Amino acid sequence: MPVLRLHPHVRLRPPGRARRAVAAAAALIALSAAVAACGSSGGSATADGAAGAAATTAGVSGTLNWEWELPTSWDPVTSSAGWDMHALGLVYASITTLDPSGTVEPGLASSWKYAADGKSVTFTLRPGLKFSDGDPLTATSVAENVKRGQTQGNSTVASELSVISKVVVNSPTSFTLDLTQVDYQVPDLLAGKDGMIVNPAYFKNVTALATQPEGAGPFSLTAYVPDSHASLVRNPDYWDASQIHIANFNVLDITQPEQILSALESGEVNVAYIAGNQVAAAKAAGFKIDVIPSEVVDELDIQTTTAPFSNPDVVKAINYAIDRQALLQVQASGYGAVAYQPFPAGFVGYSAKLADEYPYNPTLAKQLLAQAGYAKGLKITLTAPSADDSVAEQIQGQLAQVGITATIGNISTDTETQYLYLDKTIPFAVDGTAGRMSPVEMLDVLYSQQGLMNVDGKATTTPAAVTSALSAALTVPLDSPGYPAALQNAVATAVQDEPTHIWLYTQPRIFAYSPTVSGIPSDLVQQRWEGVTVGS
Amino acid sequence: MAAALELPNLGLAGAAEAIAPRRRRARAAAARIGGGIAVLIPIVVLSSFITYCLGALSNSNPAATILGQDAATPAAVAHLDHVLGLDKPLVVQYWDWLTQAVRGNLGVSYFTQIPVSQSIAQRLPVDLSIALTAVVLAVLIGGTAGTAAAVYRGSWFDRGVTIACSVITTLPAFVVGIILVVIFAVAAHLLPAEGYVGPSAGIWPWFEHIILPSLALALQVAADIARQLRTSLVSVLDENYITGARVRGLPYRRILFRHALRNASGPALTILGNDFPIMLAGAVAAEVVFSLPGLGQLILASAQTRDIPVVQGVLLVVATFVVVVNLVVNTLLNWLYRTNDGIGA
Amino acid sequence: MTRTRRPVIGPGSVLRLPSAKIALVILAVVIVIAVFGSALAPQNPLTINANALFQGPSASHLLGTDYLGRDVLSRLMAGTRLSVLTAFEAVAIGLVIGAPLGVAAVFLGRWFDFAVNRVADALMTLPYIFFVVAVTAALGNGLVQAMFAVGFLLWPGFFRITRAATLEFARAQYVEAAELLGASKLHVIRVHVVRKVLPTMAVTTASATAAALLAVSFLTFLGIGVVAPAPTWGGVLSSDLDYLSQAPWAPFIPGLLIAVTVGALNALADAFRDRTAPGALPAADPVIKTHSTLEVLEAAGDRQSAQSAA
Repeated sequence: MPVLRLHPHVRLRPPGRARRAVAAAAALIALSAAVAACGSSGGSATADGAAGAAATTAGVSGTLNWEWELPTSWDPVTSSAGWDMHALGLVYASITTLDPSGTVEPGLASSWKYAADGKSVTFTLRPGLKFSDGDPLTATSVAENVKRGQTQGNSTVASELSVISKVVVNSPTSFTLDLTQVDYQVPDLLAGKDGMIVNPAYFKNVTALATQPEGAGPFSLTAYVPDSHASLVRNPDYWDASQIHIANFNVLDITQPEQILSALESGEVNVAYIAGNQVAAAKAAGFKIDVIPSEVVDELDIQTTTAPFSNPDVVKAINYAIDRQALLQVQASGYGAVAYQPFPAGFVGYSAKLADEYPYNPTLAKQLLAQAGYAKGLKITLTAPSADDSVAEQIQGQLAQVGITATIGNISTDTETQYLYLDKTIPFAVDGTAGRMSPVEMLDVLYSQQGLMNVDGKATTTPAAVTSALSAALTVPLDSPGYPAALQNAVATAVQDEPTHIWLYTQPRIFAYSPTVSGIPSDLVQQRWEGVTVGS
Repeated sequence: MAAALELPNLGLAGAAEAIAPRRRRARAAAARIGGGIAVLIPIVVLSSFITYCLGALSNSNPAATILGQDAATPAAVAHLDHVLGLDKPLVVQYWDWLTQAVRGNLGVSYFTQIPVSQSIAQRLPVDLSIALTAVVLAVLIGGTAGTAAAVYRGSWFDRGVTIACSVITTLPAFVVGIILVVIFAVAAHLLPAEGYVGPSAGIWPWFEHIILPSLALALQVAADIARQLRTSLVSVLDENYITGARVRGLPYRRILFRHALRNASGPALTILGNDFPIMLAGAVAAEVVFSLPGLGQLILASAQTRDIPVVQGVLLVVATFVVVVNLVVNTLLNWLYRTNDGIGA
Repeated sequence: MTRTRRPVIGPGSVLRLPSAKIALVILAVVIVIAVFGSALAPQNPLTINANALFQGPSASHLLGTDYLGRDVLSRLMAGTRLSVLTAFEAVAIGLVIGAPLGVAAVFLGRWFDFAVNRVADALMTLPYIFFVVAVTAALGNGLVQAMFAVGFLLWPGFFRITRAATLEFARAQYVEAAELLGASKLHVIRVHVVRKVLPTMAVTTASATAAALLAVSFLTFLGIGVVAPAPTWGGVLSSDLDYLSQAPWAPFIPGLLIAVTVGALNALADAFRDRTAPGALPAADPVIKTHSTLEVLEAAGDRQSAQSAA
């Protein structure tokens, strides 16, 4: 997944991104996260009290300047990083949404119903939906979007949409998705990038969508300077516009952690995404801190089809050689937890079986290396996007203790997803997941043959056990009592049978923000802005 | 830079004694400018050729990069090479590129498909703001310090200025920038530590953001100017005609500004021309330290991703810019020091 | 014809001979550290200590620790070698390319001379950092490539000086006179030309080294040519900038180191210049002192080409 910004160790290594330079117009877009209220799935009580309190009374005003990473592409179909969903969610509305705890809620669709056999699901759209430029959003728009996502040559969501065999338009506000197999996670799937609806009127010039998005989301883009900033304004036609109280929204891309703090202090940014080791400084400067549990886990991608990693003992040795607790301490000042699997503790997919999979054991690591024939040492390259140098350096030091000499290769964050995910030419890299709306989708992206984040890619075939465990998890309805067990089994099977990801630690989403901002909704996966107000 | 480009002294002065002095001077000036341009154009062409060669030297395979690994079959790569013109001889490619560049078409980025000229145009105002402000600051600070040091020569102020100049010239721009950030932004919280805001967002915010980077650029040049000015002014103030003027009772200030400074400032202004490339190098430092989205950051990022069209485009623009500035400075100097015997001072 | 070396005092400058002595001491220390750094460093510059991040100066860490708990003093000492050596390499490249070209330009005809001069001008047109970055785009992001690029930008300065010296030698009357008086060519070269050229060459080399060292620091600051975890002066400065709020004092240390060393080299160049016997080839207008960049060589070259323009 997606390019994860691991903040504290941002270096000035070839500054892959230029920053700043806000051009005029602060387009503040307030996305009000409307989610919470909608009824049909019995959403749990939301944790963001601020959203509820401010919802109906506040007028629309204020500018929110959000320090955050700009997307690899403003077109959800060609976006190559899962992390993009946060920014894309500003301009696009998805068919469903997730409430803060991760339960699926209505979005563009007000309700849905599975057929008895679980092989098709019918969605009902809200009436009167419009894109930000006024065009109507109908079931036909959805059908065209699904088709494009499945068939466009450079689509990065094709494999995730492959479960949909056909879209049947029943009426302007109703469509049915026929599925290739029983899959109860389709509504979750459509809560994120996969369900973002782009205005089909612009499909004749798809390459322009990468810099000029056309959606139906809470905000619409008015200006975009790559690597620098994006300016947006509130979209009054958004289906939940009543929950959006911010008039102008700016996304500012600042990679240097010091400059994030200083931008906060000078007021240029009023909500900043910071790392654990900046919390103390931010608090001392008088900013409020929200630590939001998230699905983000830092990890290392490893190509088990490339020597020397094709030897399972080598991969195990690396797992034991890494002191995850020390990493957590230095990189995040302890915010987060050591992880050996893709979901954090407390999440339904967390498997207790993996709780202590690879305790730090350098002696065992050396033994395994000797067993693999590398008693005299091993030379490898660890690639890190420029932002991750500190992690890479620390891991390099830890690997050196067991006789592995790791050279750090830098790639620019601009081309990282191209080489790592699309071309799959990097055997060992520092990376992280951004989370997906559907847990099985996450596993799919990580471990299935066509998964974006599976750096083995076509060179390998997914073990049968993993495939069947994943299907099994898909065929269990989300509210059935057997679901957690099925999901956890899928997780354990995938992690143990496919060692292509070395999990490190979870990373909560930490925001430092000015007291004029009412609060940040604590969304588990995609950050939403319903209910947020900005005072003056 | 002035002397380096060896503007030809076409010796018109002597031959044109008979023509009215004004016309003679004008012709001489025009000839100098024309000569200057004639010398500069080969330089631009040469610089651009050198930079173009760099792109060609790179063993990156742009066609493969654009197509992506899966689609980069040898046939597809060959086809795209042909479409992009990459299979032509180097000199032909260069000529094509140059002729397009002169019309303003610098190609598109391999990765983002955004026209290079657009990226450059977006970032040029940042560098221009910083550079121009830096020039103004350098002249103001350097001029004042140098003049005061000369006027009060031998005093503690003079010593102080000289010491300060020596210290400052050894500090590279990025170190100066960091010091400024620590003092003004981190410690005193007076000014923002990074970023750029265009003047359309308000003059004061724009100024707030560019003052520190401009200062970082300007200080070294200011030190050079101060030192040079002090020396020239000291020797000019010792000249007989100055003493004569003072004896005749002319006010000191008038002597200083009308006569002494005018004659002494030649070398100092030459420094400005000479130091302009230093300022540009410093601009890259400032962009990195202060996180400004300028051409320096653009070329750094593009170099890392081996986005050759962008690198070449930026190099061409920068080289042209330096050359143009030199031309302007030379012309200015010639005009300022128009005397009967050619370039003054 | 013997001349005693009279110290010539530069106008209003504090960089008089005692400064040159200090500069030499500083440079000697730097060179010793560069050569023996790994043995002299108190701690291993690569040892990561997760429990000792951003510590201030203490008994065990004289200059404190960095963002991974490593001893700063040891890192800077280890980095000295890399920075100094690559600077010398760049100067060597500049000399090796520029000097022969300077001699050749005089003897290989006007067109060759003209062409090389124009190429030299063109190279000087580009602010060096853009050129070096472009080279790394073409040839890869290594310090070797970057240093070659810097060296390549230094040759015009050496070229101009050797060209001027060679021209002077070719035309000088005293050479003819000496030969008429029976001195051998070798004697003439040794006594007259070398005496004139060597001081200039010393000045140029010192200035070039200062410029190259500055360039190395800047490039490693930008991340070009840094191979983690090997420390470099610029690299340490760059990471200090990343953690400024946690250790605001930190960047001053490498910054001071860079400034002092470059300053010492410039002071040395000034001292050579000041002590030049009046008859020698002028190195540069003494008033344009201590430009700490590559462009100083162009200025130096100007004066010769202006004075000995063919």
